[in-house]
Amino acid sequence: MSRQLPRVKRVAFTVNGQARSIEVAGRRTLAEALRYDLGLTGTKVGCNRAECGSCTVVLDGRAVFACTVLAVEASGRDVRTVEGLAGPEGLHPLQEAFIEHDAVQCGICIPGILMSLTALLDATASPSEDDVRQAVAGNLCRCGTYPNTVKATLAAAEQLRARRAGATP
Amino acid sequence: MKPPAGRLLVEGEPPPALERDLAVIGRSVNRRDALEKVTGQAEYSSDIALPGMLHAKILRCPHAHARIRRIDTSRAEALPGVRAVIGPDNMAGWHTYWYMIAQPAFPTEIAYAGQEVAAVAAESVDIALEALRLIEVEYEILPAALTPRDAMKPNAPLVPILDVERPREGNVQQPVYVRERGDLERGVADADVVSVSRFNLPTQYHVDIQTRCCVASWDGDRLTIHEASQGVWNVKRELAKSLGLSEEQVRVVVKHMGGGFGSKAGAQRVVHYAARLSMLAGRPVRLELTRPEEFLSHPRRYAAEVTMRLGARHDGTLTAIDADIVLDIGSGSLYAGRYALTLHQISELYQCANVRVRIRAVYTNTGPTGPQRGVLDPIATFCTESAMDDLAGLLGLDPLVLREKNHAERFQGFDAGTASLPYSSKRLDQCLATVAEVIGWAERDEKRDAARRGCLRRGIGLAAYCLERGGYAPFSAKADVVARPDGTVELLAGIVEIGGGQTTILPMIVAEELGVLPERIRIHHGDTDGTHYAPSSHASRITSEMGPAVLQAASLVRQRLFELVAPRLEVSPHDLVAGGGRIHVRGAETRGVTFDEACALIEGDEFRATGSRAPNPDDVIFRGFGAHAVEVEVDVETGEVRVLRVVSSHDIGRAINPKLVESQQLGGAVMGLGYGLYEEAELDRKTGMLLNADVHQYRVPTSLETPTIEARNVEGEDAFYPYSAKPVGEAPLVGVMPAVRNAVRHALGFGINELPLTAARVLEAISSRRGADAR
Repeated sequence: MSRQLPRVKRVAFTVNGQARSIEVAGRRTLAEALRYDLGLTGTKVGCNRAECGSCTVVLDGRAVFACTVLAVEASGRDVRTVEGLAGPEGLHPLQEAFIEHDAVQCGICIPGILMSLTALLDATASPSEDDVRQAVAGNLCRCGTYPNTVKATLAAAEQLRARRAGATP
Repeated sequence: MKPPAGRLLVEGEPPPALERDLAVIGRSVNRRDALEKVTGQAEYSSDIALPGMLHAKILRCPHAHARIRRIDTSRAEALPGVRAVIGPDNMAGWHTYWYMIAQPAFPTEIAYAGQEVAAVAAESVDIALEALRLIEVEYEILPAALTPRDAMKPNAPLVPILDVERPREGNVQQPVYVRERGDLERGVADADVVSVSRFNLPTQYHVDIQTRCCVASWDGDRLTIHEASQGVWNVKRELAKSLGLSEEQVRVVVKHMGGGFGSKAGAQRVVHYAARLSMLAGRPVRLELTRPEEFLSHPRRYAAEVTMRLGARHDGTLTAIDADIVLDIGSGSLYAGRYALTLHQISELYQCANVRVRIRAVYTNTGPTGPQRGVLDPIATFCTESAMDDLAGLLGLDPLVLREKNHAERFQGFDAGTASLPYSSKRLDQCLATVAEVIGWAERDEKRDAARRGCLRRGIGLAAYCLERGGYAPFSAKADVVARPDGTVELLAGIVEIGGGQTTILPMIVAEELGVLPERIRIHHGDTDGTHYAPSSHASRITSEMGPAVLQAASLVRQRLFELVAPRLEVSPHDLVAGGGRIHVRGAETRGVTFDEACALIEGDEFRATGSRAPNPDDVIFRGFGAHAVEVEVDVETGEVRVLRVVSSHDIGRAINPKLVESQQLGGAVMGLGYGLYEEAELDRKTGMLLNADVHQYRVPTSLETPTIEARNVEGEDAFYPYSAKPVGEAPLVGVMPAVRNAVRHALGFGINELPLTAARVLEAISSRRGADAR
């Protein structure tokens, strides 16, 4: 019994602002495509069935579990991963706040948590503590950094608001 | 803050005092590895891809107890793309090691559902999986003993144990520990009140978010292992022994790892299989477990059934402690034999002359067991502290008063030599007072009564704890500090950063001793090349065992720099002080040189000093102490327990980095809440298969269940530890479960003695209580 080779598809999409084009098997997940075809190993896979959240990326502004999105579904769409968070001006306020508030221990869940929160902060300028908890409810952290995650996110939101206010003439 | 005058545990001369205030220790420096982790640059073993790398998969037995009658791997071997197949036929007699405990790699009699039967390395994961389907195995299915009760029956099936060298009688591991102090029966006879409580504690899975992954690469002479282990040196030694290599032939590298919590303290099964396959195929091999495989195959926490009897006089004075403990150790207890003795803390938390502890460790046809954050201390603590509340109830005493009444100032051992030894330090009374004050203990009944609304009840509970921590044999931790003429300073430490901040703390010690900023100190870690033996990052060992070695090495570098600088300044080396990035004459800060100028005086390429941890002395006992207080809300209609607040007070000595200490306390409390409230394995009683081998149905706490957690530590000196920093990694979990149980008891008026306190279990307890009351 030998199984047929999977059919190969071309996927053209934007990853962290750059146009990328790859050939993938039809059943390749977005997480696998990011990690193995594009070398973006910041996105982690902890369960491969949408239970732990460590593979979370932002797809067209929404946080999704990249282990349960097929790469072909991302065709023509915009993907953001942890590697795209920092810009030329430095770290994203979330990253700075996670360091300052020690919301990082072993770190394996952190890329997924940061991407869940990026989606939150892009949509909500002034999230409540409950908003933050809900945004990462699908991201398991066995080190138990949740209290510091909340603190860090509220601080980052404030920082972002201050930045936006400063940028407005 | 002045550093304490030391009895620091180092070999040779004790490091001289700094003779100035501490500048680095005690500061909440941000963790060093955080930047890599928030940018996605941190490379874990699962992120490593080597040229020509093969992919491995493991075939697992679906039966809890079976004999392999016949196995045929020929069709798998013939599949194009398959490069190596191993199993019981070609690997007969091969043993893997964990904590240097031998286990058969591929036994012909299977001990638990999920045990390894064969492994394949192939050009891709798909081909490896296809090859597993082509392996034919004929099993003779045997009756299984899935619980200690079943396993202790006279005609129980004999579990084919993994720790094959352990003595056993039937399914009971030997020896059965019975330790006695005083005269138990007399203590019971002297009691005015005797409380008897029976407890059931479940197993707990580690659920590291990174599943185990090893990339093994054999180059014909040397094996390089990239993996997620808590101890590179443990892995090196265990692997060399397993594969018949010299230790020099094995290099183990772990730069980051995605969660350990005790599950990765030694060489894991994946490492042995990946290494063997790489040696056979002559190519690098990657072996990564799936989430269900994590649940099936890796050592989890011991389950326990405990009967506790406490006797006391009317005034609360304890006269007797009797504990009968049955541990479910699954198909193997992958830790040293004396391990079960940590349960002796049942005899230690309170002053009591008459004690008996009996510990029976029983093999069952379930997965192996091993250390997990706090190991057996949570069991000892849960039973003692729950029983103390039950006793307080019978006596009509305040549970806090009962604890204070029986405070033990000194250690009470079982043997003449240890009958009454001092602790290196103990501030448990202050920890209890702290959590009581913060949680509002004095008004707890009023608070409970005022908060009673509809189906909601409030309750407040607390628990004290005691852990055997602070260094373990063989005490051979060593570290190097190197200073170079260009001013660079490097710490070489064979430890692993497991997320506890080990690579932040140790450079802070070097910086303090040299009087420079911590950012300046480089660290080479997580690699057996370039380092000495270091303990694994488990059992809260790194600060207390590596700390003294690192401090000594840095101090020796400082002394050498003083010797080089002294002639230039025309003073004696004893007149010099290092601080503020300078080395200067004591009392005359302008008379000195910069640290860079001092380093420039080093002859040759470098000056290297080695520090070495000395064994613990025999006449002092090292323990961690602390207390938790918890406020809960219980819905008596649904049985749901909501934890509103956790207060954690730990006897930490002094924090090297308060921010990182607090993080340990948050994390420990969250994991403790999972253990106490949510995490439960569902074993199919017919097949022995784990039914919830996933993180959807095996429920670990999320952000939604996590309450407010407050860390209010008690500080003070303990000269045996570097800058008085006592261990803190595991303690923050230990008191949480009994504090929750006691809070629920306070809310409901009766205790529930089986964990976890899921809604279903609490509801059932409430219903049966109502039924009993109605009768």
